[in-house]
Amino acid sequence: MAQVLAMILAGGRVGELDVLTFFRPKSVLPYGGLYRVIDFPMSNLMHSDIENVGILSQYRPFELIGHIANGEPWDMTGRHRCAVILPPFQGRGASDWYKGTADAVYQNIDFIRLNDPEIVVVLSGDHIYRMDYRKLIEFHLEKNADLTVAFTRVSPEESSRFGLASIDEEDPRGGRLTEYREKPKNSQLEWASLTIYVFRTELLIATLKENAASPSHEFGKDIIPMLMEKHRVYGYKHSGYWGYTRTIQEYYRTSMDLLGNTPKVDIRSWELRTNMADSHIRDRQPAFVGPLASLEDVFFHCGCSIRGRVARSILFPGVTVEEGAVVEDSILFFDSTVRSGAVLTHTIADTDCVISEGADIGDPGDGLTVIGMETTVPEKVRIRGGVTIHPKLKTGSFSKKEYLGGEVVQ
Amino acid sequence: MKGPAAILLAGGVGSRLNILVRHRAKPAVPFGGIYRIIDFTLSNIGNSGVTSVAVLTQYKPLSLMDHIGDGSSWDLSGRSRRVKIFPPKTGEEDWDWYRGTADAVRQNISFVMSAQSDEIMILSGDHVYHMDYRLMVSFHRAKKARVTIATIPVPWEETYQFGTAIIDDDSRITQWEEKSPRAKSNLASMGIYVFDREYLISLLTESKEDDFGHHIIPRALREKVVYAYPFDGYWRDVGTVQAYWDANMDLLESSSGIDPGSWKTMTNIYSAGPVFDRPPVSVSSLARVRRSIISPGCTIDGQVENCVLSPGVVVERGASVRDSIIMHDCRICEGVQIERSIIDKEVVVGAYTMVGRGDPKTVNVTHPEHLYSGLTVIGKRTIIPGGITIGTNCIIDPMLEPGTVFPKDVKSGMTITRG
Repeated sequence: MAQVLAMILAGGRVGELDVLTFFRPKSVLPYGGLYRVIDFPMSNLMHSDIENVGILSQYRPFELIGHIANGEPWDMTGRHRCAVILPPFQGRGASDWYKGTADAVYQNIDFIRLNDPEIVVVLSGDHIYRMDYRKLIEFHLEKNADLTVAFTRVSPEESSRFGLASIDEEDPRGGRLTEYREKPKNSQLEWASLTIYVFRTELLIATLKENAASPSHEFGKDIIPMLMEKHRVYGYKHSGYWGYTRTIQEYYRTSMDLLGNTPKVDIRSWELRTNMADSHIRDRQPAFVGPLASLEDVFFHCGCSIRGRVARSILFPGVTVEEGAVVEDSILFFDSTVRSGAVLTHTIADTDCVISEGADIGDPGDGLTVIGMETTVPEKVRIRGGVTIHPKLKTGSFSKKEYLGGEVVQ
Repeated sequence: MKGPAAILLAGGVGSRLNILVRHRAKPAVPFGGIYRIIDFTLSNIGNSGVTSVAVLTQYKPLSLMDHIGDGSSWDLSGRSRRVKIFPPKTGEEDWDWYRGTADAVRQNISFVMSAQSDEIMILSGDHVYHMDYRLMVSFHRAKKARVTIATIPVPWEETYQFGTAIIDDDSRITQWEEKSPRAKSNLASMGIYVFDREYLISLLTESKEDDFGHHIIPRALREKVVYAYPFDGYWRDVGTVQAYWDANMDLLESSSGIDPGSWKTMTNIYSAGPVFDRPPVSVSSLARVRRSIISPGCTIDGQVENCVLSPGVVVERGASVRDSIIMHDCRICEGVQIERSIIDKEVVVGAYTMVGRGDPKTVNVTHPEHLYSGLTVIGKRTIIPGGITIGTNCIIDPMLEPGTVFPKDVKSGMTITRG
């Protein structure tokens, strides 16, 4: 196979993820009861035998740096393998914060040259999917393409949020891109960009240099249209599961796709890897299910202690649900605790939250309630659906007995 | 304070564990879902700040060596931390198997001589307990002892299995009995020793005696330098099938005193198992799970009650598992019913088979001394056909392939072997 280098765009904080990304970039958002979102591209790369990865990050990278470690969780250590975090840096000239996806890669052309690959794959770190990139690269080489972009079919009503294209029908796997529009309104185009790009290295570098002079530096908005004028740009059709995590609603829906008797996505068969040495995971005892517990359609991992009722929910390592507590349709991140008599419905609680005795949080059907990390919700407070609670709040921050949808506690 | 160096005797055969030790040494037997028995001692070592460890292996050491790896799972790797595995090696005359605990240490006396510590701890990998060895070493120093033995009171009817000590008011051991049928004390040795390094060297070089309990300790006793360190926490020698099952079941009862979580027990999660990380447990809406330990990667559609499940166990719909220990990657097929059983790794129990029902008093025919209390044991990687019944106190050998002829009714007390 050709020498391939992967560049993962993992830096951003997405406004729409709100309190969940106050202290972490979206790429390390916990997902699926164990993983971080970036584990999906990292595991895909590992299974695709791509062993050299640069990860571009500029927003609060601490958790990401710890998670990627030296690449060992994905076997990317050794003589010819690497997983490297590439933060923005100051050069002799006016290097600066990354000004866009294309600029982030542009500022790391040295890293690309050092690796000297034939092909560069640019990925983003915020999607839930399984893909064998080798097939994509094979397609790219077979078509003698200059740029290949992966697409998935979407329904028109949700299409306006994506880069959309029409693809020539020359091959079931994909074909020449005949039209591409970035986030168009009222478009009939049905193929949405997965922001997965395969470039020949020299063309990538030349294109990024050319783009550097212009005011905007995005792969979707700027680079694809630029190359479509004179080069062979192809669309590759991805047909498997594709989950978005860019808004809290999307994140919740993509998480709930894991549950049910016939889940939309069976990630347990995806052979994923994560950083098991993470202090949130390692050295925990197996989960304990108590004598009065009731579990129905639940994901959980090591260190959980479940003595209450849990239904249609995902519990990360270290979550405690005390006897007499109820958790339904919810997601609890690492080490959160639901005390006896508390009820949690249709809620996402970030790491190290405590829901005190008798608190009643969330409503089925209404908007999601989201609780930021390390917040303690006081006893017996009523928090309706659609409330946002900021991280690191103590019980004293809650002045009212009841909060209504749309309110923000901070 | 500079901690001791440790020698961990991990050679134990543990033959009373029957088919659970057919392919592994006792310290390597899985325990509590994700652990192996030796993890408790290795974790105590790591958590007590002991930085130099020699592990002496002998019997079927492969899975043990695999499990210990470079020691990093217990924070025993790095510039100043290390764990070394010492298998028996050829001496001047022929192949010298370790003839006893003292002999094993003597054959590795170079480790003792080169240790940068004033004390050497001698430990075994056979027990489930939590101890801060620093406290024991402080006791040893405060008493100006040359040898300190950790001791625990045991039921009088069990004293014959142990070395027992009679102590004076200062905790000095005045009398020692090794596995006496009529012990005068129920203060039993836990097989945990602190030796002054120089004193250990002199004890081992001045004689050719093979065993600490039988020979070395009585000799040191005469010099009045041996003290008993009192321990009163949870400690079990899980050396029999029943004791092994009991200790696992203790995990389900918070008042029992065993608590690997708060003990900070560590294990090597990479050594055995799939190349990917174990995914979360999935409990479906068809399942009913009560009072159980459930390890990552389990998929449960049936009923599980009073069980310890290791990673990757599948319990299909309509199956029911009670009061049992099910090890890694077993598949319990549709409609199966299992009671009071220990099922080793990668066993498949075929649909609608019943295991563990019958008269618990019908002891096993081939190993009445191992299986007499109503437990049934199924060996690693055996395929049990569907639609049969298996009674109590049965032994089903490991590695029985699909072609093996099973009676439709494996009566209580029967043993099924390959032949």
